[in-house]
Amino acid sequence: MAAKKKLVDELRDVAEGWRWGRRPIMPRSAEGVTAPAERWSFPTDWARTPAGRVARDAILIGAMRPIVWNETAPQVFGLDHLDKLRAPVMFISNHSSHLDATLVLTTLPQKWRDKTATAAAKDYFFDVWWRSAFTALVYGGFPIERGGGERATAKAKELIRDGWNLIVFPEGTRSTDGWVQRFRHGTARLAIEMQMPVVPIAIVGAYAAMPKGRSWPKKGRPPIRVRYGEALVPLEGESHQDLSLRMQRAIAELFDEDRTSWWEARRRAANGETPRVTGPAGPSWLRVWEGSRPIRRHGHRPTWR
Amino acid sequence: MARPGFVLEVDERTPPLLVHQGEGFRLEKFPLGSRVIYPPDALPKIRDVRGAIRHALANPHGSEPLAELLRPGMKLTIAIDDISLPLPPMQAPDVRQLVLEEVIELAARQGVEDIKLFMANSLHRRMTGPEIKHAVGERVYRSFYPKDLKNHDAEDPDNLLFVGTTDKGEEVELNKRAAESDLLVYVNINLVALDGGHKSVGTGLASYRSVRHHHNVHTLLHSNSYMDPREGRSAMHDSLRRMGKVIADAGIRVFTIETTLNNNTFPEPFGFMNKREWEWSVKEQGTYLAAKKLNDLGPSQAKHQIWMRIRSPHGVTGVNAGATDPVHERTLAKLHEQQLVEVDGQSDIMVIGMPYLGPYNVNSIMNPILVHCLGPGYIFNMYRNKPVARPGGVMILFHPVPWEFHQVHHPSYVDFFEEVLAETTDPATIESKFEEAYATDPWYIHLYRTSYAYHGVHPFYMWYWGAHALDYLGDVIVVGGNRKACERMGYRAATTFRDALEMAGETVGRSPSIAYFHMPPFMIADVR
Repeated sequence: MAAKKKLVDELRDVAEGWRWGRRPIMPRSAEGVTAPAERWSFPTDWARTPAGRVARDAILIGAMRPIVWNETAPQVFGLDHLDKLRAPVMFISNHSSHLDATLVLTTLPQKWRDKTATAAAKDYFFDVWWRSAFTALVYGGFPIERGGGERATAKAKELIRDGWNLIVFPEGTRSTDGWVQRFRHGTARLAIEMQMPVVPIAIVGAYAAMPKGRSWPKKGRPPIRVRYGEALVPLEGESHQDLSLRMQRAIAELFDEDRTSWWEARRRAANGETPRVTGPAGPSWLRVWEGSRPIRRHGHRPTWR
Repeated sequence: MARPGFVLEVDERTPPLLVHQGEGFRLEKFPLGSRVIYPPDALPKIRDVRGAIRHALANPHGSEPLAELLRPGMKLTIAIDDISLPLPPMQAPDVRQLVLEEVIELAARQGVEDIKLFMANSLHRRMTGPEIKHAVGERVYRSFYPKDLKNHDAEDPDNLLFVGTTDKGEEVELNKRAAESDLLVYVNINLVALDGGHKSVGTGLASYRSVRHHHNVHTLLHSNSYMDPREGRSAMHDSLRRMGKVIADAGIRVFTIETTLNNNTFPEPFGFMNKREWEWSVKEQGTYLAAKKLNDLGPSQAKHQIWMRIRSPHGVTGVNAGATDPVHERTLAKLHEQQLVEVDGQSDIMVIGMPYLGPYNVNSIMNPILVHCLGPGYIFNMYRNKPVARPGGVMILFHPVPWEFHQVHHPSYVDFFEEVLAETTDPATIESKFEEAYATDPWYIHLYRTSYAYHGVHPFYMWYWGAHALDYLGDVIVVGGNRKACERMGYRAATTFRDALEMAGETVGRSPSIAYFHMPPFMIADVR
C-alpha cells in the first residue's frame, strides 16, 4: 500500500497548496479558462455596529494614528469645510498609498469618523478572511467590485441611505507612479444618483512616503499633507462625466494650493490654469521619478542657512 | 456554453491535484512542467427530458416516427443497456426508465400487446431484480418483470437464432425473440464513444459464437482506438458494422434510441471531485479533508458500501432516435462536445488515477483483471488520433490492486488469474491456448445462466481490452498496488509516485514529459 498520510500532513498539504491565509493564485496556464469566483461577499455589517465602532476607534486612534504619526509627519488642512456639511457625504481622494484611508480616517473629526465607511476593492481587500476582517473592522470597509455594474454599488447605496459617509478612491486603485490617474465614473454616478455632496481631499506626499509595493513608510518621517477642499454638490442635470471632471479639477486645485498658496491657486483656477496632476508626459521612469520626489516640508524656515 | 476541457501546465502555483485510487483518493504533487488533461465542464442538461424523448420518437432520423411503426398484433421487443451503464449508476429516474415509459405508452396507445423486454447484458452477469427496477423504473418493472422483462441469456440454445454470416465470415447469432420481432427497439445510454451504434444489438443481444468475432486480440489490437469508431479506425467497430448489415439484410428492423449524459459525475458531498482543484472553495477543501480521513479510517466493507451507493447526478444532454447510423452520428457529435479535449503532442508518461468503478464491478469488486481492463484497457484508449503516451512510454496507475475477487460475480476471473496469468500474460497466447476451454466450460455457463456470474470467457476479454496498451507501452507501474497481484499481471508496483517516476526513468529517461489524465469524469484526448 502507498504510505498513508497523517491528518496533520494532509492539512499542511492543503494549507500550502491552497495558500490558506494568503491571496489565492491560480496556475498561470489556467488563468484564461477559470470561471469567475462565486459572488459571495464577506459580511461587514458587524463592523459598523456600535461595538464595532468602538473597537474601530480604539484601533484607529489608539494604534494606527500613533504609528502613522510616528513614522511620517502628516499635516491636515481645510477641515473647517466640513462644518457647514451634514452627513452623508462622500470623501474622495487621490490614491497612491495604503496610508491614504488611514490618513483620512485619523484626520476626520470624531463625529464624522464614527459614521464613515470605506469602499475597498473586493478582489484585493476581501480575498482572504483575515484581510477581510481587518478591512471591515479598522476601516469600516465594505467590498466593492471594480468591474462596476449595479451590484458594485448596491452596498454603497444601502449605507448612504443609512446615513453613512463614504470614503471612495475614484481612481479605483493605487497609482503606480504617484500621479493622479483617470477617475472612474462610478463615483460620480453614485453621487448624482444619491444627490450627495462630494468632499475632495488631496493627499500629498503619501506616495513618496509609502508607495505601492511598500508595507511600511520610508525612514525619516517623510512629510504628508492632507488637504480637505470645499464640497462639490451635483448640479441639476449634470452628467457624471462633468461631475467627474469637476472632482478631478478640485483635487488638482488642492495640489496647486499645497504647492503654492491658496490665493495663487484660486487665481490660476479662475483663469483655468491649474497645473494638471496627471504627471508629465514622457517615459514611465520619468513619471515615477517626478512622482516620488520628496515634497517640501512646511514650517518655519531655519534662521541660519 | 460549457467550458471546454483544457491542458494545464503544472507550475509553482498549482495546488496538489486530486488523484483517484480505487476506493480512495489523494492529493498528489506533480513535477513542474507536467501537463494535466482536464475534461470539459458538464454540458447543460435538458430540462424537459420527457419532452425531448417524445420529440425524438416523433421526429426520428432515417425512420418513420415510432408511433407509425407500432400496430396491433405485432411483436415488439425492447432491449435495454445493462448495469454496465452509466457509471456511476444514475440517480433515479434513470434515463432508460424515462425512455421506456414513453415507448411503452406509445405501444399501449397503438394497441400493441405482445411486448418483451430484455436487459442486453450479452456475456455480462444477469442483473438482479432491484438493479433492473432501478434502471427501468417501478412502473415498467411491476408491469413486466419477471415474465416479460428478462436478462438476455447468451447460452440458451432454444432462444438464440443464427442470423447469418458477414462477408468476412463473422457469424451473427442473436436473441431469438429479438430477431423474430416485427420491431426491435434498443434503448441506449451512450456514456463513451465505444458504446452504441451497431455494437448495441451486435453485442448486447448476441452469443459467444457471435461476440468472439469482434472481441478478440486481433480486432482489439487493431482498434486505434476503441473510442474512435470511425470506419477504418477500429477493427472492432468495423466488424460490428458488418454484423449490423447482416442484421438489416435479414429483415430485422431496429429502432435505436440513444441518449447522452453530461459530465456531472459525483453528487454532493463529493462535488469537489467534479471541479478543478484551484477552484475548490474553502468548504470543498474541508470536505476533501474530512472525506479523505473518514475514507482512510473507515472499515473497508463499510467504505465499499458507501462507494457503491453513489448515484450520479448525470443530466441528459441529448436524445436521438431512428435508424442506427444517423442516430449514432449525432450521438457521437454530442459525446465529443462533452468529452473531447485537444492535446498537443504525446508524453513519455501517462498518469491515471483509477476510479473505484468500472463497467464490470457495479455493486461488486474491482479485481486485478478489471483494473487491467479499466486502466490499460479503456482509459488508455480514451483518445483520438494518437495515444496520450508515446510508443514505448510508461503508464503510471494509482490503484491498490487488491488480490480480491467477487466469488459470485467473477468466478472465472479467479481461475483466470490463478491459472492463466500464472503461465503467461501474452494476450495472443492466452487466446489460442485457454479461451475456448473457459468459454465452453459447463460450470461457468451454468453459473452465468442461473447465478449472477460473468461468462467464463469474460476475463479473457478484459485482458484483451488491454492488449493494445501492452503492445504499445514500455512499462506499466502501479502506485500503491499489491506487489504480488501486479507482478502476476506483468506490472511493477511502486510505493509512492516519486518512486514510480524514478522507476519510469529506466524506460523513458531522466527528464520525461508527463501527462496526467485527470478523470473521472470521462473524456477523450484528441492528440495532435
